Amino acid sequence: MPRLCALCSAQRPILKRPKTGQQICKTCFFHVFETEVHNTITEAKLFQPGDRVAIGASGGKDSTVLAHVMKMLNDRYNYGLELFLLSIDEGITGYRDDSLETVKQNQKEYDLPLKILSYNELYGWTMDSIVEAVGRKNNCTFCGVFRRQALDRGAAMLGVDHIVTGHNADDVAETVLMNIMRGDIARLGRCTAICTQGEDTIKRSKPFKYTYEKEIVMYAYFKRLTYFSTECIYSPDAYRGHARSFLKLLEAARPSAIIDIIHSGEACEVGEEATKELKERKICKRCGYIASNDLCKACTLLEGLERGMANAGITDRGRKQLEASGPTPDGLRTIPFFQMNTDTPLDSASSTPIPGQTVDARIPAVVHVTAG
Amino acid sequence: MSTNCGNPITETDAMMPRRCKFDRSKMCIKCKENRGNIVVRHAVYCKVCFVLMLNQKFKRSLEPTINPVPDGPRKKSLSPLGNLVIAFSGGLGSTVLLDLVHRGYISSRKPRQDGDISTSRKDPKNEMVWKEVRVCYVEVCGAFPGMRDRTDDVRRVVESYDGFEFVPMRVEDAFDERWWESVGGRPVEGQLGVDVMNEDLILSPSSNPTSPLSTLHIYLSSLPAPTAIPSTLQTLTRLLLLHTSRSTNSSHLVLGTCLTSLSISLISLVAQGGGFNIKEEVQEEWCLGKVVVKEDKGKEGRTVRIVRPLKDIGMKECEMYAWWSDLEVVGQETWPGAPQGIGGITKDFIIGLEKDYPSTVSTIARTCGKLAPKDVPAGICILCNRPSQGQVKAWKDRISIRSLSSSPLPSTSPAQPSLAPYLCYMCHTTLTSKSSKKPNSAVSTEKGDGVESKVEVPVPQWVGARITAMGREVMKDELKEFLLVDEDD
Amino acid sequence: MSEISLKVEFGGGLELLFSNQKSHQLSLPTRVASDDSTSPFGKEQETKALDITYLIHWLRDHRLKERVELFMENDTVRPGILVLVNDTDWELEGEGQYEIKDGDEIVFISTLHGG
Repeated sequence: MPRLCALCSAQRPILKRPKTGQQICKTCFFHVFETEVHNTITEAKLFQPGDRVAIGASGGKDSTVLAHVMKMLNDRYNYGLELFLLSIDEGITGYRDDSLETVKQNQKEYDLPLKILSYNELYGWTMDSIVEAVGRKNNCTFCGVFRRQALDRGAAMLGVDHIVTGHNADDVAETVLMNIMRGDIARLGRCTAICTQGEDTIKRSKPFKYTYEKEIVMYAYFKRLTYFSTECIYSPDAYRGHARSFLKLLEAARPSAIIDIIHSGEACEVGEEATKELKERKICKRCGYIASNDLCKACTLLEGLERGMANAGITDRGRKQLEASGPTPDGLRTIPFFQMNTDTPLDSASSTPIPGQTVDARIPAVVHVTAG
Repeated sequence: MSTNCGNPITETDAMMPRRCKFDRSKMCIKCKENRGNIVVRHAVYCKVCFVLMLNQKFKRSLEPTINPVPDGPRKKSLSPLGNLVIAFSGGLGSTVLLDLVHRGYISSRKPRQDGDISTSRKDPKNEMVWKEVRVCYVEVCGAFPGMRDRTDDVRRVVESYDGFEFVPMRVEDAFDERWWESVGGRPVEGQLGVDVMNEDLILSPSSNPTSPLSTLHIYLSSLPAPTAIPSTLQTLTRLLLLHTSRSTNSSHLVLGTCLTSLSISLISLVAQGGGFNIKEEVQEEWCLGKVVVKEDKGKEGRTVRIVRPLKDIGMKECEMYAWWSDLEVVGQETWPGAPQGIGGITKDFIIGLEKDYPSTVSTIARTCGKLAPKDVPAGICILCNRPSQGQVKAWKDRISIRSLSSSPLPSTSPAQPSLAPYLCYMCHTTLTSKSSKKPNSAVSTEKGDGVESKVEVPVPQWVGARITAMGREVMKDELKEFLLVDEDD
Repeated sequence: MSEISLKVEFGGGLELLFSNQKSHQLSLPTRVASDDSTSPFGKEQETKALDITYLIHWLRDHRLKERVELFMENDTVRPGILVLVNDTDWELEGEGQYEIKDGDEIVFISTLHGG
């Protein structure tokens, strides 16, 4: 007798779910995949009707599937969301320019407004020029910090206050492991949160928090979604690479390892004593973004770049050297001032603009470069 | 954003620079006279100063845990509430531990005089801290056909020291009612079995009484993934040691977990879903069948404290100490199949990473030391006896849809008692989470060729006893309160 | 060609990979192939002084009986194996680049055993 789908017992199974080990048919796979994401969204009460939500879109598999599923669930369950695509152009020739073409195609397919914000526009540097200046060793540091801030600023330009990203269960599990191995107490506490707010002013959520990367790939395959699947040409984050291959070995030993790690991350928190050690949150004096020192990470990195001291934003020592080397010269290129809408409460779960109310772009879309 | 570049969490990458293997000079940083012999995390020591330093680290971890109320002023005399059990596997860590305990607390001291423990003495440093010291060895060869029984090797090592009482055990004792009664357990009424093919782990009376060894075989071979075998053996071993400690009036159980193995077991714990028990992996208080509360800590015979006195000493230091002290390491190498398990994968990974990022091991231990469980425990796990969050099935069902029907318990009639509600996340996962490969079980049983039918697996004695006790108290109130019931009366 | 005599010892269970023999008295040439190849070589071959990296390769090729992966990884000893040169941690002596002298005693200790 041929095996039948473990869920509907009617159709022929076409895949074995990594998450449960069950052999299921295509129809049931789509059903459980989408419903689990819907459950994650409703359990965590991520959205309110009328919310303006930006989907961080890179053209890669995660964000392509996310855009597809968000649009579908929004229609199917009447979330009442106004959805946008938000892309960051890091300025990596042969990589991001190609993947942005994919995003533009997605825009047409899903009929969602798209905003592209480039590093060049915001910081006056592209990743290509940064790599030229700093080499390939710490370029991921620049890219990570710059992207985070760029996403928030792009969101502000769109007048949204919620960004959903394509981080999947594998990413979350990997981050839990890395934060423990590197002693990053500050991040450990929040890396398993579905929705974070507080580090920066805009809510960020991970509807794919419990979704296996493998299943995202399968979903994209069976739905024939177009995505861009080239690795970043500057991706030598060796440490993350180690963590990822470790996670893959764990998953091979027992597929539930990925959600087991997430469960572990959710089960513990930073103890009282250690919380005291965490740095107080400040506002960057130069650009108004969230910072733990007088200058935010992006401003420190940018000043280091501009003054030819690339280490300034990477190590504490580098930052002190920068501070010791005299005051910031006049006319240095800086990041435009960031201002969140003051109507938006910082730490309320219901920080939603009233439907119908237009939220103006809060920072100018055109960047004034104060020095050449 | 896509995860091609992933999480925007990359700025700490540069925080792990490679450095020269030692600071400045090759001279010992302690005595500044001798040429160094060993580099311990960039610090250079000569042989003499290294041994002194190791002893200090050992005492600094152990001594604050000896008095019933931990972290009291160290100057006070050391007065434990009971005896000491040293868990000895014959491996490197416990070999070093045995030697350090003997040198520090036995060979250098006079036997403890009988009398009131609380009487203050003029010079307590000359007297033994624990009246009786036992060395427990749990032989696991029963789990692996063809593995050599090392009890005699271990006995030889233990008996080469004076002042230790040797207590050999076997891992299959966990299923032996004679062992259970010998440690003071209430007899179990009839053998209980659990159906591991069902996520609810339905309980039923088990029909065929078998020998403890074949029961162990049935238990291990019905585990759903090979990685579950080493973790199960660890849990069984831990509970055998704890019950033995309790039955010998021991207030302390010391393990030879060094810093390196602690970090490995912490990551491996996280990888198996045991994040709620990170604290216990470092140090734990155990009290038969219940959550330890503050009031228990000062009372004699109530709790056993598990301490890892080598937790600040790296594997390299243990290795050097064993080499220079000419200690014989007789323990078994890695268990068969263990390298492919989560523990083995973690070990290879951490030791490899430590080579390029030399602070990995200490960072892991330090980070985990700052973590606390998010919730108050709902009870303790019936199998591993560690604090548990509860709601395991509910969490899992929320994360992954396993059935199209809307009822939460599709195949279970409510009348059937089930083990699942009384297990912690990690134990539930160990018993139910399948490997993608069919486990090539270390032992062969008469089980069919992978047909998912009901498989009845006998449970360890303490689990059976707990369920019997619950049954006696009548399964009132859906057993909700049972986890907190004190059966210590 | 002149030779250096040295003593190699294995501990911590590593001896099990080397015919269960703990102590090995060896005699090796003062000059060896720079690429750590341990087969006989011609005159035009580039050479270097005998160092520990070469010794590790030589032991693998001529003394190791089983499971090379437990002894070597990436042209050096597997992570977790300690090396002592005359009772001193090799990290103080330049690790693999330490040049072996006549009468040296080199110890390899593995961490095969757990807690």
